Amino acid sequence: MNIDHIDVIQALIDGILYGSTYALLGLGFTLIFGAMHKLNIAYAASSIAGAYVGLASISVMAIPPILVFFIGPLSAGAIGLVIYFACFRYMPTGNQLAPLMASIGALFFVDEIIIHETSGSPLSFPALLPDSYFFLGQFGIRGDLVMVMFFSFVLMGIVMFLLYRTKLGLATRATSQQSVAALLCGIPTHRTNATTFVLAGILGGFAGCLIAAAVGVLSPLITLPLTIKGLIVTVIGGLGSIRGAIIAGFLIGSFENIFLLVRGVNERDIYVFLLLFVFLVFRPNGLFGTAIDRD
Amino acid sequence: MLYFLGIFQTIGVHTLLGLSAYVLLLTGQLSLGQVGFFAIGAYVSGILTVLFSWHIFAALAVGALVAGFFAFLIGFPALRVKGLMLVVATIAFSEIVRLFFFNLSWRVEVNGFDVGPDSTQGFREIRYFAANGWEQTHVVALIWSFVILVMFLLWWLDRVRAGAVLRAVGEDDLAAQSSGVNLTMVKVAAMTAGGVIAGIGGGLFAHSTTYVDHHTFTILLATFAVSYPILGGHKNVFGTLLAVIFIQGFVIEGLRFMGDYRNIVFGLLIIFAMNLRPQGLVDGHFISDIKKKLGGKPKKDSADA
Repeated sequence: MNIDHIDVIQALIDGILYGSTYALLGLGFTLIFGAMHKLNIAYAASSIAGAYVGLASISVMAIPPILVFFIGPLSAGAIGLVIYFACFRYMPTGNQLAPLMASIGALFFVDEIIIHETSGSPLSFPALLPDSYFFLGQFGIRGDLVMVMFFSFVLMGIVMFLLYRTKLGLATRATSQQSVAALLCGIPTHRTNATTFVLAGILGGFAGCLIAAAVGVLSPLITLPLTIKGLIVTVIGGLGSIRGAIIAGFLIGSFENIFLLVRGVNERDIYVFLLLFVFLVFRPNGLFGTAIDRD
Repeated sequence: MLYFLGIFQTIGVHTLLGLSAYVLLLTGQLSLGQVGFFAIGAYVSGILTVLFSWHIFAALAVGALVAGFFAFLIGFPALRVKGLMLVVATIAFSEIVRLFFFNLSWRVEVNGFDVGPDSTQGFREIRYFAANGWEQTHVVALIWSFVILVMFLLWWLDRVRAGAVLRAVGEDDLAAQSSGVNLTMVKVAAMTAGGVIAGIGGGLFAHSTTYVDHHTFTILLATFAVSYPILGGHKNVFGTLLAVIFIQGFVIEGLRFMGDYRNIVFGLLIIFAMNLRPQGLVDGHFISDIKKKLGGKPKKDSADA
């Protein structure tokens, strides 16, 4: 196959559009890490689970399909809260490995329940904007991916607003910087952490719905690749860095699509994961991580 | 009887996998990459016995060395970061290995048959034991002699200076570094040792099941590998063995009537265990309690860290 610059640019466009969902997931991972300095491996699984709950509720209750984009995120937020209490709330503060291991357990718990309920087969998901393919010069652009990107930017804007312009955001950032000092200042750190988990869960639920809408199907097979890519976005962006996670999301999306074009779907993920090692060797703190973020 | 021999095989192989994660856990590192080294050991030794008709011991040794070499290589970039980032890096590594074998197709004609790894179809013809007249009892004996050897070496390690150095790094690497311990060397050495142990386990696994494919080497197996020493506690090698017997013997085999609910139970079990005993089920208190009950004097230094 001959690959000319048109194909490469086309792949880049698709990748950047799709990468906005990775940016959302990375943002959620990084929010949780920023708040507690702990990783929630079950995060992508709970996001996909939220999308499943949304899908189940529209098929059971016969409500307009667009409501999946409200029920999905809300249930993902609820699942996030459950995971906070199950895996993080009652763990010793200094111990990072125990909550991490517990969240891996939660990942399999959520994933296996999905597989059990759906018999592992993929379900079709309502599209955001069906039949909206248009051309911009020589390049074809999928209208639904443009919508995905638009909604991602709106959500990122909302998160930024919440973090930097509200009292809740102030409490979250204070807890993130020095949780003991924040507690001394009267900030209920446990409640703040729980709120962060719910917020990140809602964000992840949206990402899950947008990904499912862009792909057209929802399948338990996508949780693990999403988990790993979300983690890689978080690491490449710099653990705890919000703008890093957003930029790294677009980077991973376009990188993935270029390798999809050059090496095919079976080998694509190998190169995406190798990119992580390139960063670990040359920039272990990620694009925007500070040295303090290093553990 | 064959059924029980099969369970013994599984428990033996999983104990090797768990011990390879145990070595890393001694230095305070949680790795989800053990399944990658396990896969390398399985494929390399399988390729050597099937495609090149090597003897099983030579193939196992080379498989273990190759796995150890990759662990050594992964050690350096992965150890520039520690703790949580290492987990991410090792997840990525084991997925890279799995996807590599997913794409690997190397078919060769040996004695009139096409054999070798066949990408998505898996690697089907690892019949060394059957072809050379080994009975299943011999295979079980081989696996368990490796398990006992590795367990003895790790038990012995805890009684010499090197073990103390490993644990010092695990308890507080800053303090260890300021008393002159070379952190990189210790961590890379632990990583390499873990890789070698996982490689042996992988080679034994491939030959005892005669068939491997990329589905075997998923993150689920990696989670099993780290959950053994974590549930068993990293104070003692026997904790890992107990955890393997509990999970493989009870949760996976004993609860077989529950069908695919078992995997849900496995997830819940980890969550509960980590909440109830974040330091592992067999922690320092537990060991000293047992020693008290047995009438021996409890060790003073076995208090929880």
